[in-house]
Amino acid sequence: MTKILKTNPWPRLILGLVLALAGSSGLASCVSVAAYQKVYLNDEDMKLANKRIEVYETNFESYREGAGGANGGKVGGGCGCN
Amino acid sequence: MNRDFSASFLRFAAPLLLVLAPTLTWAQATPTPNRVDGYGAPNTTVPNPPNPTNQGETEVNILTSYYQQDGDHGAVEGGRGTQHLTDLTPTIILNIPLDSVTRVSANVGMDYYASASTDRIDQVLSSPSSSDTRYHVDLGYSRQLADKQTIVGLGGGFSKEYDYLSFNLTASWAHASADGNRELSVAGQAFFDRATLILPAELRPAGRGQEHGSGFDTRQSYNLNLVYSQVLTQRLQLAVSTELVAQRGLLSTPFHRVYFRETGGALGTAKTELLPRQRYKYPVGLRATYYATDLVQVRGFYRFYNDNFGIQAHTFELETPVKVTPFFVVYLFYRYHTQTSAKYFAPYIAHSLTDTYYTSDYDLASFSANKVGLGLRYSPVYGLGRFKTPFGGRVAKFKALDLRYAYYRQSTGLTANLISADLSFTMP
Repeated sequence: MTKILKTNPWPRLILGLVLALAGSSGLASCVSVAAYQKVYLNDEDMKLANKRIEVYETNFESYREGAGGANGGKVGGGCGCN
Repeated sequence: MNRDFSASFLRFAAPLLLVLAPTLTWAQATPTPNRVDGYGAPNTTVPNPPNPTNQGETEVNILTSYYQQDGDHGAVEGGRGTQHLTDLTPTIILNIPLDSVTRVSANVGMDYYASASTDRIDQVLSSPSSSDTRYHVDLGYSRQLADKQTIVGLGGGFSKEYDYLSFNLTASWAHASADGNRELSVAGQAFFDRATLILPAELRPAGRGQEHGSGFDTRQSYNLNLVYSQVLTQRLQLAVSTELVAQRGLLSTPFHRVYFRETGGALGTAKTELLPRQRYKYPVGLRATYYATDLVQVRGFYRFYNDNFGIQAHTFELETPVKVTPFFVVYLFYRYHTQTSAKYFAPYIAHSLTDTYYTSDYDLASFSANKVGLGLRYSPVYGLGRFKTPFGGRVAKFKALDLRYAYYRQSTGLTANLISADLSFTMP
């Protein structure tokens, strides 16, 4: 793994991006939204995740596209080689 | 499951959806839990403030989909030939509360698939390899800790098909801030797979009397998933995520042929696909949801992907749910994906015999893809109906119905149609 980190800049770049976004979001959280103000955020369509019914699409995309991941799709457990 | 059947299915399904749509708007609804559960572990999103609404209720989801694809770059025949595939996938997801803080989940299902390209392993139609059934079972356990802001989960499961066996373990942890405006979740998964090495008929070792060639090989996949979500305003929130993947072992598919330019592509001169035995994936995603108006919300997703096979990709998704009534939602969605080719990919008879690694699998080719679709969700306040179950006469509520159609097209010529349904039930 050390060799990969030395030869490939992407893991460090991605980690940096995640930490930067997390840090900036932490600062932004000064604007606190109270529970009683979350009527819009609690809407079903505001959830920050794929819908359950999307699972089949993310699975077939992870099979049919060499680039899979970071979208809740399948990364193992089955051949998918047809 | 043939081509005529799939065409008929699609021809009748679309009008059925249109007929159902106005009917479904008559009643009233309530939102339904609708997140994608990970393999093995139950949902670990922390409710904030703690919401006892569903405590004590067993949730049952029946999911099913019908998938059909077609194309003319089948990897089994070295980058040419049919990619026709149909897949039917019934799945049941159970989510059972043991007490106010503990839940167990089960995800049980099967895939019945029929693949014309796999049928060409033996160069003979209607061989046993043309269809198969994959079974999978995943179990999970989650517990909310005493601080009410942390949920931990454990899970495991397996799947089995004719030539492939897979076990998985998963652990997850999620922690929300006191005001519920931030959440960090971490999940790790490990897959331990074993594949039977089925070689194309002409590449099997002579005289060994083996039906398909050649023993077994293994693959291990390790997946670390990090998600940080943040509320920005009363109408806007976002999440940044990464899903780091490390794979070791058999990453080639032994019955995928590769033809080389020096050999002229004649049958009998192929080799079986060969890829490195290690792969690392580094994707990062950004998701945002925006409550534009009481009528329309906007859901967006962008992902950048990179791996050591040389593939880089960008994926963009946009979805706009429209509330026809407070309880009937129609949503349109669009997805664009573009990726570069793996450095080991070349089309039919484009590889050289001097290449170290080689594949003609178009999943690893350079292409762009578009997906469009339509979804309907209907979730009345009092449910769509109630009925007695065989389990001690308990009354179950048919809580919500979600239907979805997607059309997918790649620049390689591959097309796919997918119809999915999610039926939600609760039992007090």
